[in-house]
Amino acid sequence: MIKKLLLMAMITFFFISCVVVKEYEKVNINDPDMALSEKKCDRNLTTAHSYREAAVGANGGKTGGGCGCN
Amino acid sequence: MAAAVINTKNQLKNIILFMCVFAFAKAYSQTSQDSPKVYKKRVLETIEVDFLSSYYSQDGDNAAVSGGIGSEELTDVTGTIVVAIPLNDDDVLTIDASVSAYTSASSSNVNPFDGGQPADPFVASSGASGADTWANVTASYSHSSDDRNDIWSAKVSISSEYDYFSAGVGGSYTKLFNEKNTELSVSGNVFIDSWSLIYPSELRAPGNGGDDDDDDDDDFNINNYTITGNPNYAPQFIPFNSSGRNSYSLGFGFSQILHKNVQCSLALDFVKQQGLLSTPFQRVYFADVEDSFIENFQLADDVERLPESRFKVAVGGRLNWYLNETFTVRTFYRYYFDDWRITSHTASIEVPIKITDKFTLYPSYRFYNQTAADYFAPANENLSTSDFYTSDYDLSEYSANQFGFGVSYTDIFAKAHIWKFGLKSIDLKFYQYDRDTTFTSSIITAGFKFVMD
Repeated sequence: MIKKLLLMAMITFFFISCVVVKEYEKVNINDPDMALSEKKCDRNLTTAHSYREAAVGANGGKTGGGCGCN
Repeated sequence: MAAAVINTKNQLKNIILFMCVFAFAKAYSQTSQDSPKVYKKRVLETIEVDFLSSYYSQDGDNAAVSGGIGSEELTDVTGTIVVAIPLNDDDVLTIDASVSAYTSASSSNVNPFDGGQPADPFVASSGASGADTWANVTASYSHSSDDRNDIWSAKVSISSEYDYFSAGVGGSYTKLFNEKNTELSVSGNVFIDSWSLIYPSELRAPGNGGDDDDDDDDDFNINNYTITGNPNYAPQFIPFNSSGRNSYSLGFGFSQILHKNVQCSLALDFVKQQGLLSTPFQRVYFADVEDSFIENFQLADDVERLPESRFKVAVGGRLNWYLNETFTVRTFYRYYFDDWRITSHTASIEVPIKITDKFTLYPSYRFYNQTAADYFAPANENLSTSDFYTSDYDLSEYSANQFGFGVSYTDIFAKAHIWKFGLKSIDLKFYQYDRDTTFTSSIITAGFKFVMD
């Protein structure tokens, strides 16, 4: 576990050292399809996954609340 | 008399002097506040309204309510409205309200003996538990700093259905730096949930431990039926002594722009759950107890028993790549494990294809697998001597493939109008999900986004 966290920290610092993209260069990054999250219309799909599958979290979906028991 | 006049004049002088100093100070302070007029873009320009809806259906042969044998047929229709209101340049209030109505064959078999047809785990009964409505309201508030590099948010939520109530609070802090190329966030949520305990009808019968005091008007009396198989049906059923379930989550996020066309994110979530993690109406059939039946329905030996604590860890990453004006690639991977010994991998890819300036297609694929929880066994394979047991196939080992396709329409000028609101986008998507067991599901989702003029 500690090794994995250290690896994540190393990856994080590696990414931070990347070249800085200026605001005027972010046209493509700001495209709605480049968002680092699910689209709003996929929210009920993600919720269905969280009910039917054991795995939750790390995807912006719900991590608690509700039973999902039906 | 003269002294009194001089005294009054001095008082007037003092008052005028005080007023001048106050007026000067006020004017100076306003000037100094107003002088550095920095342009600040509003976090949200205008009110935005999203209407979301979905139609979900599933089927399979391993219903948890009937101990791992039976129809999993379920349909659900959900409608949601999300209203985001800019309160000023920096603050946004978001109200999110959902209503979901579902019918479930397996839930209907909490009491399968409601007449009309022989009880059977593969046939939905007409009991009250076969349909329900779930409602949720979430209010969230976010504040951004003047330089937009610090974002605080807080939210409260309430959701309710017939046998379950949930209240939640949460908050997050996000820090942007490196010219907004790097983002770090931390978030926390607490959910306080409670069950209305409903047990399988045969366990609610007098003498079987559960009390038949719920208000679903089942009127089930086991003495009116002929029990086949083992006729001496005597389950060792003990009702749960608590009905609360609390969830605590702590999440860390990191995102980074790697290139003017590539960005990625990492997320690490910890979730701790405590309380009644078993579902009280999910049956279990033991290998070391003789089977008893009424009609075609096997009577419960017990309900599932799961530990009162669960700790989950999920680590995930996204990498999005803007290939060109037509193609974008969106990828996601997650590794998950918990202390019930479930491990899981999730991987997905979506390739948005802009076919015109207004229409985009969304083909996608998702793979998911998981190992079984320590306490899972199929029907008639759990042992009554175990502390914990379940036949819920959502906790079994399986893998699943999901294929999706969607189309979106976007009008950045929002020309089409309904009252004061311009239609900005429409999204329609369909997903087909298949496990390597008998379980399949599909969902159609739709989203309409409006912005106020």
